[in-house]
Amino acid sequence: MIINKKYYLLFLFFLQFSSYAQTDWVRWEKFDPTYQKQDSYLQRDYDLSINSVSGLIVKPVINAYWFFVSDVDGANCPFYPSCSSFLAQSIKETNLLQGVAMFFDRFTRDTNVFGRLEHYPIYGKNHFYDPIALYTLDKEKIKIIPAKTFVNVE
Amino acid sequence: MNYLRLLEMTSLKKMSSLFKSLLIVYFFFPLSYSQQIDFQSPQNIKLFANFLFCEKDYLRAVEEYQKYLQLIDDDSVQFKVAIGYSLMNDQTNALSKFGLIKKTSVFYDASKIQKLKSQFLINIDSIFYQSADLLINSNSIYSNNAYKLKNTSLLFFDKNLRSKENFLIPFGDDEKNKLSVFYNLKNNPPYKSETLAGIFSAIIPGSGKIYTENYGDGITAFLLTGLFTYLAYTNFEHDHPTRAWIFTALGSGFYAGNVYGSIASAQIFNAKVNFDFNEGVKLFLQEQNYFTPSYDFCK
Amino acid sequence: MIFVSKKIFLLFIFFIANGFAQISLQQQFDYSNNLFNQEKYFDAITELKRLQFFDTENIYSFKSNLLIGKSYKAGAKFDEAVKYFTLAEINARSDDELFNSKVLNARTNILRRTTKQSERILNDLMDDPKFLSKQNEIKYWCGWNYIFNDDWDKAYEIFNQNNLDTTLANLCKSVDDEMYSEKFAKYSSYIVPGFGQFYTGEYLSGALSLSWNVLFGYLTINSFIEDRVFDGIMVGNFLWLRFYSGNTQNAEKFAIQKNLQISNKALQYLQFNFAGERP
Repeated sequence: MIINKKYYLLFLFFLQFSSYAQTDWVRWEKFDPTYQKQDSYLQRDYDLSINSVSGLIVKPVINAYWFFVSDVDGANCPFYPSCSSFLAQSIKETNLLQGVAMFFDRFTRDTNVFGRLEHYPIYGKNHFYDPIALYTLDKEKIKIIPAKTFVNVE
Repeated sequence: MNYLRLLEMTSLKKMSSLFKSLLIVYFFFPLSYSQQIDFQSPQNIKLFANFLFCEKDYLRAVEEYQKYLQLIDDDSVQFKVAIGYSLMNDQTNALSKFGLIKKTSVFYDASKIQKLKSQFLINIDSIFYQSADLLINSNSIYSNNAYKLKNTSLLFFDKNLRSKENFLIPFGDDEKNKLSVFYNLKNNPPYKSETLAGIFSAIIPGSGKIYTENYGDGITAFLLTGLFTYLAYTNFEHDHPTRAWIFTALGSGFYAGNVYGSIASAQIFNAKVNFDFNEGVKLFLQEQNYFTPSYDFCK
Repeated sequence: MIFVSKKIFLLFIFFIANGFAQISLQQQFDYSNNLFNQEKYFDAITELKRLQFFDTENIYSFKSNLLIGKSYKAGAKFDEAVKYFTLAEINARSDDELFNSKVLNARTNILRRTTKQSERILNDLMDDPKFLSKQNEIKYWCGWNYIFNDDWDKAYEIFNQNNLDTTLANLCKSVDDEMYSEKFAKYSSYIVPGFGQFYTGEYLSGALSLSWNVLFGYLTINSFIEDRVFDGIMVGNFLWLRFYSGNTQNAEKFAIQKNLQISNKALQYLQFNFAGERP
């Protein structure tokens, strides 16, 4: 019985052996990781620093939308960034007209529930990653991340 | 009692046995000393480093080898240090360590092609091409390997792709099949036209997205634009102008978004084509070990 | 007679020979241990591996594997630590050694938050009659395991048994008392929209949820009363239902978030201010 257990442990040990040693390819120091758990809920960026005229109009509207609607109607957006943040960011990145067009396109993709898994990388626990950089029509900014990859940047 | 024993010892026979035992002691003493392990003797450092290297504990192995190299000049160990860095994908250090291999060493030629691989992995730039050309034109046994690596690297760029015959010169038959596929893909990538996607969607909403193979999005775009157009139309008909205008605004929003999105979708499609192509070439190079010989130091 | 003394002499030589080897292995172990004490964990592991490499008779197998495990644990390389504690376990030559390596393995699993594994190890130890005298220590780590599994209630019970650790018992009790019931928050909001938000102290959000639900509920019902069935379905489906389900989701989310804050505060205290032994 004891011998069996030993072999079992040995087996388990060698099973893990394949991934061995990569940890030590870089020198490391003492590290005391926090006991605390990560708060994974999204934080809103209510920042009102205005960079453009269109931002002056749109950002307060979005903030109000977040406060009065988005925060109380539950988690409906399957994407990161959420549709409203997507709108805010795309207007900031491009201009009012293009930003709105991008938003309508996003909303269309949001409405389509089929084939998302084959299409988007995954962000956090339950969001698809769909950054605005893909849609500004600037080819240089397009960075392809294959579908189903886990993304944790930004 | 003691006296008796002394008497015994004086007998010649016993003397010789004492002599024998002393001899044994004489031989055993050095042995006993050698059992005190000298962990830092060059030989032991090297043995331990070899063990670490085969355990894939490369950083520790490399550090031990370097301790050994401070005591003893050994080009095979020097070469292993560089290989160790290369295996950890620390190409900058690998490059400088391969550079320490002397011209007289049997590893000199091998170090050259390994250096080229490291340079390739750091960045495919003019320095890489200079060293590649130097190696190709030298009489090294690896000059053809360098030629292969150079030609494959050209697949990552849009310009400078020569004629197919020229491109395929250095490769063997098996490699030729694969590389000619890559070559054709590079020359005729299966891109989708952004303009066409835009025009399609302008005529029939969503069709541009279907053209770029986003079927679900295309159908959704068609339905949404259609729905809001219909809602706007019926509301105008039933004299609800306010609602009608709201639906008109939303409908045109979806229409514009659909045209815009189709163009973006074509761009993303093309970016994915490039991405997949580059990944394919990278994978091929990895499988070929970048046309460098592989070493098994751990048999 | 001389023959006998020769044998003794030879034995003596052998003893010395073996002794020297052992002394140098011991020196190597001491050296590694020294590095460990100086918190030079990476180098300590190198030296311990060197010791293992030359320790052909596996005299130091247990000690070196245990110390390598401890070094990895100190560097928060928990996967490796678990591996080496398991190796130490295999090489343990006494009950004490076995116990030590298993407990360290469990503690690493607690820190790694693989609490199922640590629970299994600790339960094995608990059931083992060899370790009857160590029940208190095993229970102590079981308590910590519950803490890391967010089971403050069970942690309290175990620390409170026979006054195992009153400080920890009190802390766990207060955390457990402070916690909100996630289920109550959610289901109370099903009955009265906004109630769960009020319960978790999110009054503004609760008021907003209540207002939206009253407004859209009224509009929906009104539409049906006035026989505008299409409008009623639209408003009911797209607005009322959305805010109604959003309301319950939010109530639950607030409870989870608040609970996270409460437990994080306690964990912060445990990590930096708790004087007793930590995993």
